[in-house]
Amino acid sequence: MGACKEKDYAIPEAKGVLQNDVIKRSLGPNLVGQKIEFAYAMALPADKGKIVSAQVEASIAGAPTTFLEHRSFYTNSSGVDVGIDIGSPSVNKDNLTTVDFTKDTMAATLRYNYVAPEEARGKAVKFTFTAKSSSGETATYSMGPYNISKMDMKLDLRAVDNAACYISIEDMAVYTAAQAATMPGKIDLVYIYRTPTNYLHSIVSPGSDPQYLPGVTLPAGVNKLTKLVRAWALRDQQLARLQFGVFIDDVDFEKKGFEDAADLALNLKAEAGLWVETADGKYRAYVFINSVTNNTKTAVISIKRYTMK
Amino acid sequence: MKKYIITALVLLAAFAWISCKKENPVDEDGLLITSRAECYVSNFELLGADFQTVRTKNAVIDTTACTIKVEVFFGTDLKNLWPQFSLVTDAKLDPKVTGKVDFSDLANPKEYAVVSGNRQVRKTYKIFITVKP
Repeated sequence: MGACKEKDYAIPEAKGVLQNDVIKRSLGPNLVGQKIEFAYAMALPADKGKIVSAQVEASIAGAPTTFLEHRSFYTNSSGVDVGIDIGSPSVNKDNLTTVDFTKDTMAATLRYNYVAPEEARGKAVKFTFTAKSSSGETATYSMGPYNISKMDMKLDLRAVDNAACYISIEDMAVYTAAQAATMPGKIDLVYIYRTPTNYLHSIVSPGSDPQYLPGVTLPAGVNKLTKLVRAWALRDQQLARLQFGVFIDDVDFEKKGFEDAADLALNLKAEAGLWVETADGKYRAYVFINSVTNNTKTAVISIKRYTMK
Repeated sequence: MKKYIITALVLLAAFAWISCKKENPVDEDGLLITSRAECYVSNFELLGADFQTVRTKNAVIDTTACTIKVEVFFGTDLKNLWPQFSLVTDAKLDPKVTGKVDFSDLANPKEYAVVSGNRQVRKTYKIFITVKP
């Protein structure tokens, strides 16, 4: 009978020491120039002193815009994150990012945004989070390693028919005819808008059959035959910033086959995409159509690009 | 007593006959050969590299002349199309569609044969593709 007796519930005892925990908030491939976000939580019992500093050590020093938040956030009743200052803004020194606390604080959750530098491209990065208390205690937490992708990303390029319509994969930029004439070797694609309902918003290789470039006068030397493979419902979250949890990473570019590629893609709709391989095979890219507007003859595109050789 | 033995033997013989009966016949693809003699294409679809249709309108299927006429969008990459046939019950297609098909030779339309459920009737359909100007 004794075995069946329920134990009385007791509130668990805190460990009585400085403790910490980390979660990674950002999802998907980690890109150079983009943030990797963590939330670093630390706390100790009130009678054990206060937190004096928090720091993060990255195995590869982050870009100068890397920072550890000096505010601890809570979510108010309207669902808005409100920051409370707990110290001075973080200082980056070599691989370390440090926040010194100025408020008497026993618990805080600080966000850490690591901006991947160029040196980290294609490498793995590890992080060590450390908190110090006034009683001399320290708590540490290791995260990683996280791979930094080799690919690059450029968001929201505005292609305009008969104006900024020459797309360069190498530069991940859109140029006008005058600009394109100065760098014909870099132009891989042309954006065209024509009113027939089976044409509309189109992306065509400049070297394609002239019947697919109606009314387009290409600048001298713009003649590359770029490989294109249409894709649909491939809405990479970093490019589309939509609700779909789909990510394109380095490996996708490496494995993508271009045997059945065309050199044009007519009548593109918003949320469509194009796998692209440049004529010299140097770059592979995924061009996502964020939006198209008929009356202004424009398309907003975002590009992820991987260097093959 | 003798009558019972004969009855028993007759029953046994009946079971033996059932168990010896040939299994349901299957063809070289392991598909059941049935008694159906119908042989036609009921629907036809053409998909592009992005698995979206490239038809501008419904394909016109003539089951008497055995032709399928389909108009595709301007600029369609005819080298890489994925045809999809809907066939009458139990029929099968020859050759099989295993992936992308090159339809770019418009002068020589592709041919696909439909074989009926009893594998006795075979009708060859020609696919005529036109590109919307």
